[in-house]
Amino acid sequence: MVGVAMLEVENLRLYYATRKGVVKAVDRVSFDLERGETLAIVGESGCGKSSMAKALTRLLPRNVHTYDGVVRLDGKNLMELSEEEFRKNVRWSQISIVFQGAQNALNPVLKVGFQIAEPLMVHDGVPKEEALKKAREALRMVGVHESFADRYPFELSGGMRQRAVIAMALITNPKLVILDEPTSALDVITQANIMNLLKRIKMERNLSFIFITHDIALSSELADRVAVMYAGQIVELTDAEEFYTNPKHPYSQKLMASVPTLRTDKKLEFIPGAPPSLLAPPPGCRFHPRCDKAIPRCGEEEPPAIEVKEKHYVKCWLYA
Amino acid sequence: MVSDVGMEYSLKGIVKELLSYKSGIASVLILALLIGLSVYTVVTIPPEQAIAMWRGENNMWIENPRNAAPEWITYFVHKNLPKTIKVASWDRRFGVVKAVAPIPDTTLKKIHIEVSFDYNYDDFPSEVNVFFKAKFNASKTTPLIKMYWVKPDGTKIPITEFTMRDPDQILYISVDQQIYSGLVAWLQKEKGVKPYKTVTTQEILFGKISPSMEQGKVEVEKGTYKLVVDATTYNEGDDVDLKLVVYGKIYGIAGTDHLRRPLIIALLWGTPVALAFGLTASLAISIIQLFIATISGWYAGIVDSIIQRITEIYMIIPFLPFLIMMAAFYKLDIWTILAVVIVLSIFGAGIKSTRALVMQIKEYPYVEAAKAYGASDARIITLYIIPKILPPLVPGLIGSVPGFVFLEAALSFLGLGDPYLPTWGKIINDARNNGALYKGYYYWILEPSFMLILTALAFAMLGFALDKIVNPRLREM
Amino acid sequence: MSYKGFIRYTVRRGVVLFLVVVLAIYITIIVANMGGKIDEFVKGDLYLQIAQQVKRDPQYKNLPGSEQEKIIKMKYEQEIKRLGLDKPFLERSFIYLKDAITLNLGRALYMTSDSGSRLVRNIILERLPATVMLFTTAMIINFFIHLFLGLYLSRNYGSLLDKIVIALAPTSTIPGWFYGIFLILIFASWLHILPYGGFVDVPPPPDPVDYALSVLKHMILPLASWIISGFFLGVYGTRTFFLIFSTEDYVEAARAKGLPGSLIERRYILRPALPPIITNFALGLIGSWGGAIITETVFNWPGLGLVTWKAIQNFDTPVIIGVTVIYAYLLAITVFLLDIVYGLVDPRIKLQ
Repeated sequence: MVGVAMLEVENLRLYYATRKGVVKAVDRVSFDLERGETLAIVGESGCGKSSMAKALTRLLPRNVHTYDGVVRLDGKNLMELSEEEFRKNVRWSQISIVFQGAQNALNPVLKVGFQIAEPLMVHDGVPKEEALKKAREALRMVGVHESFADRYPFELSGGMRQRAVIAMALITNPKLVILDEPTSALDVITQANIMNLLKRIKMERNLSFIFITHDIALSSELADRVAVMYAGQIVELTDAEEFYTNPKHPYSQKLMASVPTLRTDKKLEFIPGAPPSLLAPPPGCRFHPRCDKAIPRCGEEEPPAIEVKEKHYVKCWLYA
Repeated sequence: MVSDVGMEYSLKGIVKELLSYKSGIASVLILALLIGLSVYTVVTIPPEQAIAMWRGENNMWIENPRNAAPEWITYFVHKNLPKTIKVASWDRRFGVVKAVAPIPDTTLKKIHIEVSFDYNYDDFPSEVNVFFKAKFNASKTTPLIKMYWVKPDGTKIPITEFTMRDPDQILYISVDQQIYSGLVAWLQKEKGVKPYKTVTTQEILFGKISPSMEQGKVEVEKGTYKLVVDATTYNEGDDVDLKLVVYGKIYGIAGTDHLRRPLIIALLWGTPVALAFGLTASLAISIIQLFIATISGWYAGIVDSIIQRITEIYMIIPFLPFLIMMAAFYKLDIWTILAVVIVLSIFGAGIKSTRALVMQIKEYPYVEAAKAYGASDARIITLYIIPKILPPLVPGLIGSVPGFVFLEAALSFLGLGDPYLPTWGKIINDARNNGALYKGYYYWILEPSFMLILTALAFAMLGFALDKIVNPRLREM
Repeated sequence: MSYKGFIRYTVRRGVVLFLVVVLAIYITIIVANMGGKIDEFVKGDLYLQIAQQVKRDPQYKNLPGSEQEKIIKMKYEQEIKRLGLDKPFLERSFIYLKDAITLNLGRALYMTSDSGSRLVRNIILERLPATVMLFTTAMIINFFIHLFLGLYLSRNYGSLLDKIVIALAPTSTIPGWFYGIFLILIFASWLHILPYGGFVDVPPPPDPVDYALSVLKHMILPLASWIISGFFLGVYGTRTFFLIFSTEDYVEAARAKGLPGSLIERRYILRPALPPIITNFALGLIGSWGGAIITETVFNWPGLGLVTWKAIQNFDTPVIIGVTVIYAYLLAITVFLLDIVYGLVDPRIKLQ
């Protein structure tokens, strides 16, 4: 179906109520994702990336203040579904998630294979023997020997556990897999291995990924599209190629300038100041206090998302 | 479940936060009250005096009623319960008459004593005794006593007639069998009333004489009563004086026990004992456990293993039976008991969490850095480790005080506590052994229990509040 | 493969615990004999036995008293040497240790068991079931109450009920036996609807069903006292516990997997929490053995605790020591059972 993307997010909002006030973790975020595409969401710590993942999978904490917007998966607005419908029909069967620090995503008293097989048993009613067989296959696919299916999580290394969690996320053949910093708790070599695995899966399976990370260099390995998040909002959304060579938003430019390159000589820059608080973000453009290209309008009005080129959006007055 | 070791604690901050909780304020107030009470008690009644009072030396409590309820009980029973009335023949007041009439040409003297008093209570006295203070030589002829009872309406009843044996003789009118039979006989002969066997001497003396006595029902006759004594002394220098004590049913702020001792003494004195015992035990054990846990966690290796083994052995030694065994075999005073309790607790379970914490902190980069610049073990331990493991200990320390207070009470309850000190547990023990529950002397049990509960709750509330402050994770929950 | 590991683990724990019990009993003996208490009654008992023997022996029966005395004394000295009771303190202690471990606890000075035996072992073991019955029941009732209420509260934390439970948690520092005194005061002394104490009505009902009911009636107050004591802190504790466990990452992962709530509760919160819950249960059980003494004294419950109380009253030294030894065994057995259950429930143990 041309014209309608697989995933359409419009004005998604997730605010938390805390003792100190309302935290606007995800503040009117909009983007599209086609089937088989990988979207990388990059940003600093505290910019709301993880909250985005939670918002998409409806894993909300108790102190939610606001949760609205439109999330359309294959034309159906997920926000209209009840808790039970969402649980049964969307969670894992259509959208799965690989968490940050997968070490703790596995239940310590259940065998690894069982946990991987569990979604099949619960969602698809697959009998236990068959589900375990599929779990073993899944493990093999991610490069972990089948025998580990009968082991407990503490018997696997960090890298193996992460692979197991990835296997678990894929076993129901979901349309969308969200990866929230899947490699940040691992050493560089394991990280490389996992990235290779993800690339292979991406090639083989035509899945859509949303890859959330603070590591720009890492994101470049998988991304088809890149969204830059700052203070709860997406400030730039474009194709990967475009982003890595020609970022438009001042923040994105600073980000790219701060990443060391292997082969060219580069003067590394840094961004002065600290990330803004999501409690009381700066008025107007949220980046303007740290922006060296700011004009007076930036402090007064919040810029809309301006389509600078085809499918390249920037939230900045410089492009108005 | 590890507490956030990154937090720094300041005493002022903790106190401020503590007072923001209702339970914090309440517990601090109660504890201040208890500590104040302890100080007051120890100052006004020094330990030796307290022990002497509790032993009842020199019959000091003889003029107190037995098992008297506290005076405030009248609010609950809506009856005017009697208080103790004491009238002595040497009192210079209206109603007391003493006339000495020597018989001429002899060394004999006729002494006529009248002591009157008003009795307007709604209930009968618990006891009636007469304490003689006479002067005579026991080897010679001793004074002859004739005693009468005069009721408000003027009826004069003879009580007894006897020769004195002892200058300080006590006549237990209310329990004396002879006097009782005499009174019953008098009632039958003079008034034609045969009282039912349950009617007591006090009821006859203070009751309205009526046929209802035959069913055992007696009403109090209010008015002015008189005790009349006609004494005849035989020798020069002989004299007779007496004190009449009409024992009430209520006494003081806390009542009395079976040995007539005012319960308030033990209630007051129990406070410093309980606080001292509880706090000392708690503090000593916490500090010693701190050391052991630190050494175990820091040096690890063999030292750690040995300490772990010892802890296991400790777990198997049955604490209370062992304590009981020691207290039963070797009569221990309270400080020795305290020492034994401490020794039996130091390798307890509390070590585990502290040790785990120490091992965690040991791995921190700044500890490694300190080691790198040559800091000694002692320095690292005192400067880096102890400040981090101390705060989590405090709630446990405070919270375990009630346990020790009840332990002391339990030992006293079993009769194994310090034999001389008056403590709350001792009161409960006495109460139970003397049938307080069967006889309805509820205050005897309720008063020390109230103190125990108050103390326990105060420490417990404080401990919980401190726990919430020191473990921020609990606060979120 | 895991079964072999499990058996190895069990045997290892068993051996270690046995050694620990031996040490604990040894310490008990040393402390008890510091004032020569064990020597006293052992020797006294021995003398008595020999005297009885001699007096019944046809050889010596008809001899005059003084002659008998001499023979008794001679035999007594012989026995002392034979048993090694004249050896120094340390050696004697090992002899006593051997006896204590094998539960050869001697004969009581004054007390007898219901069956008429003077053996300390019988006196104590006869009463053991009553204690186990009462306290195990109390522990089990408490366990389930705390578990279910704690689970319920953890789901609705922050509610009014939650706040009440937290506020009343300090009431649990008051031990059960203390509540017991009040319960007796209210229900027996004042209201006269429940008995003051004891095991069964006196005289006991002949019909077994009535008998059982009578025992149950007598169990109500002691059980209630320990249920009340442990209630608020116990529920609060398990609630906090479940809260902490339900904030674990793998629980969120389970939610993300779309597993239904009840399944998550069972498999992802309860299962992993079992090992520490069981530890707590066992520790509570161990603690309750200790509290048994006072409780049984308050309620006149004919168990181990009451035996201890009577032994204290009568200065029956061998019984007091025997009770301590039995308690040590009880604790060791409880710990051993705890270790076994722990090993079954926590996979990390099985495989090491």
